[in-house]
Amino acid sequence: MAVKSNQPVVCCVGITKYFGGVRALNKISLDVHPGEVLALVGENGAGKSTLVKILSGIEQPDEGSIWLGEMEVKRLSPHRARAFGIETVYQHLSLCDNLDAAANVMLGQEPVRFKLGPFKFLDMGGSFAMTRERINDLGVHLPDLAVPVRRLSGGQRQAVALARATVRAHRLVMLDEPTAALGVTQTQATRDLIRRVAAHGVGVIVISHNLDDVFAVANRVVVLRLGQITLDTSLCSTNRGQIVACMTGMSFGQTPSADLSAS
Amino acid sequence: MHDGDEFWPNSLGRPVRVLSRLSQGVFARSKRNLGLLATVVGALILLAILNPHYLNLNNLMAVALQMSFVGTCSIGTACLIISGNVDLSIGSMYGVCAVASAMLAKTLPAAPAILAGIILGGLLGWANGAMVWRVKISPLIITLGTLAVFRGLALRLTNGFEVRGVRPSYSLFGQAQVLRVAMPVVALVVLAVMAHIILDMTTLGRHLYAFGGNREACEAAGINGRRLVLATFAINGLVVGLAAVLAASRFGTASPTFGVGLELDSIAAAILGGVAFTGGEGNIPGVVLAVALLGIINSGLISLGIDPHYSQMVKGGALIIAVAMDQIAHEQRERRRRHLAMQERG
Repeated sequence: MAVKSNQPVVCCVGITKYFGGVRALNKISLDVHPGEVLALVGENGAGKSTLVKILSGIEQPDEGSIWLGEMEVKRLSPHRARAFGIETVYQHLSLCDNLDAAANVMLGQEPVRFKLGPFKFLDMGGSFAMTRERINDLGVHLPDLAVPVRRLSGGQRQAVALARATVRAHRLVMLDEPTAALGVTQTQATRDLIRRVAAHGVGVIVISHNLDDVFAVANRVVVLRLGQITLDTSLCSTNRGQIVACMTGMSFGQTPSADLSAS
Repeated sequence: MHDGDEFWPNSLGRPVRVLSRLSQGVFARSKRNLGLLATVVGALILLAILNPHYLNLNNLMAVALQMSFVGTCSIGTACLIISGNVDLSIGSMYGVCAVASAMLAKTLPAAPAILAGIILGGLLGWANGAMVWRVKISPLIITLGTLAVFRGLALRLTNGFEVRGVRPSYSLFGQAQVLRVAMPVVALVVLAVMAHIILDMTTLGRHLYAFGGNREACEAAGINGRRLVLATFAINGLVVGLAAVLAASRFGTASPTFGVGLELDSIAAAILGGVAFTGGEGNIPGVVLAVALLGIINSGLISLGIDPHYSQMVKGGALIIAVAMDQIAHEQRERRRRHLAMQERG
């Protein structure tokens, strides 16, 4: 399904991050390819969020290097990450509840009709058209883009957040627990959304506790445990038992992975 | 909210669409503004019946002039509150700008004295913004501090005395008229129209609403929060400086007690006009209507021969009633929506 190219969108090598005396990440090496859905799983405190924050430029690694495409980036800032086309959708969605869907999707890069001195006048029609196109691309039914998003359902809000991320993220989208607060239908809709985003050739990293999510959308799974990667494999060559074993460090009657002995 | 572009065919071109959007913004969008307008008209009719001398152009112009200073400040206050901030120090800022401008006007020509007063307002506002941004604590507390600091500054500059002996030319600005409308009223109208256009039609306005709605979302979307906060506070300061200079110039004098309590009137007008104190909601037409209503209440009570001290109580009461009605309407809407949602699910 996924279009795998040899050139990864983002590649990190030997990433180590300390918080005080705690080693949150230990020599993490990871690459993400275009069109790939990579599930990042692990228990609380395994380092998933830290890794995402490093890739989005919010945190700086203490050791290791980050490559965006073919270029090594010494210090990845949030601005640099965004300019490269990396966006993150956080668990709390980061929507402006008082604004409508179009305003949320285009926030920070509103189409401009004309300038007058320091003031840029909004192109409302363009803004609605671009949002409509995005929302349709994601296959979401959202009849009225002019309603404040606080009135939308959880799934529709998720779609707005994802549409906003994909407007600018042409390389990599990272989703933090995208289905944590959603019902069954909305979870299904969100998984469809993620597949569609990847189908456009964007790399996707999904953080999830929910192994159903992992098996439903991902084509690759990376398990973190205590700041180390304990499993990095394509989804067809693994199973639930192995993933759980790598997450917890315990075997549940399944064959433990070879990597496990290293941790 | 933004259906103007689909409603008008493209052939009518930009001017018609812009006009239609503007007029929609003034009334049709908000039932609340219609309610305010009805209250203003109702109050005028009631006053006209009770006192046949009340409703004439001269009197209404006097009311407009009286409210123009608070009204101008409430435009800046509304923009600040919409963006999720507030400046309590505007009354003191008003005092400092008025006395500083008047003191300069004793020696300098009018234009530099006037400009200096306005720019001083911008600088004081900018300083407030810088502190609010740097010290991550409620803007209420920071600007409560500068409220005292600026008032002290005004008293120190003047030793507590009124500033007298400004050059006569200094008063030309505040006493000027445009089409027989007093300059402070003209300033209020021009600022209100500009603020409405900026809030409704520009990226800056959009970002102010967004910032008031969810600050983290804005910064995640790449909006420079620092620049936005500094600009809003500085523009608010410029607006307050303009109002203060207009007052000092019109009266030909300035006292260090100018603007005491102005922040409360200004915030009351903004809230009465439908600006949510939590940020992200509100519009300028509502604020202008609220300013008009407060002015009519004030002057109406006086024209009826009622002790003017009651007007404070009536204004406060009107504010509480308006906020209570908003809250009740909101709860009813939520209840109705919940009922609808439950029916849909069977």
